[in-house]
Amino acid sequence: MTDAAAPAPASGTTSATPAKSAPRRLPLKPGEASGGARFFAGLLVIGYALIAMIPLVWIFATSFKSPPDSIAYPPEVIFEPTLEGYVNLFTSRTRQTAEYIESLGPPQTWYEELVRKRNMVISGPSRFADRYWNSVVIGFGSTFLAVFLGTLAAYAFSRFKVPLKDDLMFFILSTRMMPPIAVAIPIYLMYRELGLSDTAAGMILLYTAVNLSLSVWLLKGFVDEIPREYEEAAVVDGYTRLQAFRKVILPQMRAGIAATAIFCLIFAWNEYAFALLLTSGEAQTAPPFIPIIIGEGGLDWPAVAAGTTLFLLPVVIFTVLLRNQLLRGITFGAVRK
Amino acid sequence: MTEQTMSTPAPQQRTATAPGLTGRLRGLSDRAIAWLFIGPTMLLLLAINIFPLIWTVYLSFTNYRANQPGREVKWVGTRNYERLLGSEDIWGYLQATAHFVVWTMLLQVILGLGLALLINRGFRTASFWTTLILIPMMLSPAVVGTFWTYIFQPQTGIFSYIIDWFAGTGALDMIGAPHLAPWTIVIVDTWMWTPYIMLLCLAGLRSIPPYLYEAAEIDRANALQKFWYITLPRVLPFLMLAVLFRGIENFKMFDMVVELTSGGPGSVTELASINLKREAFENWKTGYSSAFAIILFVTVFGLGNIYVKALNRVKS
Amino acid sequence: MSHPADTRPRRQTTRRRIFRRGPWENAATGLIALGVIMLMQPFSFAAFGWSFAVILAGTVGFVIVSHFPE
Repeated sequence: MTDAAAPAPASGTTSATPAKSAPRRLPLKPGEASGGARFFAGLLVIGYALIAMIPLVWIFATSFKSPPDSIAYPPEVIFEPTLEGYVNLFTSRTRQTAEYIESLGPPQTWYEELVRKRNMVISGPSRFADRYWNSVVIGFGSTFLAVFLGTLAAYAFSRFKVPLKDDLMFFILSTRMMPPIAVAIPIYLMYRELGLSDTAAGMILLYTAVNLSLSVWLLKGFVDEIPREYEEAAVVDGYTRLQAFRKVILPQMRAGIAATAIFCLIFAWNEYAFALLLTSGEAQTAPPFIPIIIGEGGLDWPAVAAGTTLFLLPVVIFTVLLRNQLLRGITFGAVRK
Repeated sequence: MTEQTMSTPAPQQRTATAPGLTGRLRGLSDRAIAWLFIGPTMLLLLAINIFPLIWTVYLSFTNYRANQPGREVKWVGTRNYERLLGSEDIWGYLQATAHFVVWTMLLQVILGLGLALLINRGFRTASFWTTLILIPMMLSPAVVGTFWTYIFQPQTGIFSYIIDWFAGTGALDMIGAPHLAPWTIVIVDTWMWTPYIMLLCLAGLRSIPPYLYEAAEIDRANALQKFWYITLPRVLPFLMLAVLFRGIENFKMFDMVVELTSGGPGSVTELASINLKREAFENWKTGYSSAFAIILFVTVFGLGNIYVKALNRVKS
Repeated sequence: MSHPADTRPRRQTTRRRIFRRGPWENAATGLIALGVIMLMQPFSFAAFGWSFAVILAGTVGFVIVSHFPE
């Protein structure tokens, strides 16, 4: 991971090694955790984890139920799985008379067959795919910008004498704390004037600004951990500051940048308040759209569950795979593991 | 050109001689780089955060309505603030917010600290289960609110069914009943954010050097004494940090509750931010709601100061 | 708070002691906390009315005080 230090000409002489924190092990305190107590503790934790998972598993299961199954009493644990929820999520349908459906001839595809069983005809694609794509574009766009600007600012804050540094850093963090609705009023007015309402560009700018505070704080923590000797040696060897930044510091920051990026991406992906107030059509992201699905075919829970599943799945996978990288972001750098 | 300069200094002649100095001078000065690097960030934050904030302050002293752009804007002084702080309704919404904040924090501290203590005992596969427990807090609050409405359905929902099965309560209308709805949002928030408190408690627990326990062992301290005199003092700063952060977040709570109960039934779950959104974007009382926004903002900003102070203390 | 102020020359110490950050910061923190409690408590409507003034004073105070030397 720290091979990146190799191109630095100084690698031979400076004795400083990158601050690699040794993986912390669970401290076993003498006399405290006997075998039986540990077993019991494990049982309780597993119990909590299983109960906490019920809602998620339930939504996942519901996405494969048929609409009648989804509102059965008692709630059905065993059911015949169907993709109807997903078909309903991606299509818009109209109810037709049996004669009309008869006149259309046999269904061409498996999903048409599924829909016609409920006396419906597919009238076109739904808006879900568009909304999902908006979430992807806005998420990645704002993440890229926030991490790019954040890296530069973090480096400057970490290495240079900046007047009023502490005030600026606090100012940056405090922008993160503003209640979104409080900021939304003037931003709504501002975007209306500038023609940025309901555009992907407007949302990317907004999310970049919100994420920037976090990315500067987190990345500054990562830069602080890189020993100054690295660059100093590089500068002594004839690199300019900028070259030293590019060739020595950036490679060292890779892990930190990745962690920050994941965190910014998840924030932009999950954000709701701004999306609700500032987008209505074109640039609407998935979070304000998913609840609307309910209204569209009269309590179509499997479709809602399908949308929820598709929306939450990437985050769940990220969390499971990259847990340790995420922790630092969630806690504003208070947890360093 | 950069490649050139890169290859010139051979690792051997690595003393601060002429080539090193000229190399430094050829580049930008440190001060220029600092401003170049910080500038864009500051500009963006000024444009998207500070400018709007100043505008909100201005609007809060006017009777502006965003849905009537042609209407004459009048300066009304502090009348918006007086109306807000003299309104029993607003007081009620803030009490609803207080109920939400206090109970979520209390439950999450108990559950989170408990879980952290259990996990810290170090049983096998603990890491796997910890990861599972963390999942809820990474999800989109609005989507969480949406799918919990399904789980809370009074007749067909699984929550009511399970509770009824264990406690025989009959069908529970968690969203529609005024005496249950405030607890509904507390339950969902606790489900979602207990992992956060747990996480910070774990960080605190892992910062305790084992020799402290060894020393206590020699002094024949019992388990309770060890917890009280060693564990708790070390965990408390982290716990404080977590409670402050989540307390501020829940004071601003909007997305999850909007999708779950949208403030109802009546206004028992009408939290401050939800009412603010209603006044600003449904009733279009822009000036009045700007004043409300400023009240919430100053409160959050004040608490944020305390949070950053605590954060720096924990970090050092 | 635990900074050894007595290592500095005597005349400066008195001024530094008055404008030291710790106690003032704690006072401002207390004021903010009091204001937040006033804002959200269910007992006194009058206290609710004054809550914002208290929070504002505490917050402004905190910003000023945090620039005092340690």
